[in-house]
Amino acid sequence: MKRGDMLLIGLIVIVALAFLVPRWFESSEKNHNETPKVANITVDGKLFKTVELTKEEQIIDVKTEFGYNILKVHDYGIEMIEADCPDEVCLSFGFVERNGGTIVCLPHRVLVEIEGIPGEGDDVDVIVK
Amino acid sequence: MMSMSSLNEQSSIALKRTVIIAIFAAVSVVLSLVEMYIPVNMSVPGAKLGLANIMVLTCLYFLRTRDAFMMVILKTLLTSFMFGTFSSFLFSIMGALFSFAAMWFLLLVGRDKLSVIGISIIGGIAHNFGQLTAAALYFGTLNIFYYLPMLMIMGVLTGIAVGIAVRYLIPALSKLSLFDSFLAKTS
Repeated sequence: MKRGDMLLIGLIVIVALAFLVPRWFESSEKNHNETPKVANITVDGKLFKTVELTKEEQIIDVKTEFGYNILKVHDYGIEMIEADCPDEVCLSFGFVERNGGTIVCLPHRVLVEIEGIPGEGDDVDVIVK
Repeated sequence: MMSMSSLNEQSSIALKRTVIIAIFAAVSVVLSLVEMYIPVNMSVPGAKLGLANIMVLTCLYFLRTRDAFMMVILKTLLTSFMFGTFSSFLFSIMGALFSFAAMWFLLLVGRDKLSVIGISIIGGIAHNFGQLTAAALYFGTLNIFYYLPMLMIMGVLTGIAVGIAVRYLIPALSKLSLFDSFLAKTS
């Protein structure tokens, strides 16, 4: 390994951490009740359904011509729990609860995006972006 | 006589090149297959070991740019036909092209500053970046780049692993007589 490699690795890690560290702080001091969020589920660019992210469990079946995905809402977040796509990358997204968080299932053209309900408590995220 | 023998030599090199491209592409498809059965839970969506990058980087080392490019296209087509769908082909080709361009550029300008480890790290991250760009264009949302920092960290780790593999592979392949005619050009 050369000096250049070390510099490169250091640089990449620093840049990545610069984005990651603020997120950790943000998630440790969030308050769910103040900012209700919704998840927009789109399939092939068209809105499939908008669900409110509640503490209670909800199961959402996304059955389209492209395939079958099952989403589960719980604890103010959303998670892809089952999919019959070949790569199953969408399952590896895990539990998503942050504003702007996404779950993508490429083969089925499914996109889940979380956003705050407009007008109800502005999020600090908006300013950072 | 003179021109005859040089013509023979040329066609023999061209044949060797074709064979090497085919073998490398086949090996990288096998590596992608092997990777699917390695149960590493990266816990980052889209992250993978990128073993096929071992062959791409080696190819860039031994062959001309256009031959390495052919190999990348061939490998991506084969992998998509075997395991993917059309949309997943679009994403893999985007990742493969980004990665190829980044590694080619670094080999061109930074060969004496960076080792294969640094180059494979950049190649891996460029692959992720290409795929995220494809996804962002496809879905029309920039939110997907949320995952880039995590993928960058994973890219450093997998890039080091791939780079070490390439560092062992290049001297080993250099000993094969098949590569004799190419070594003179690269060194």
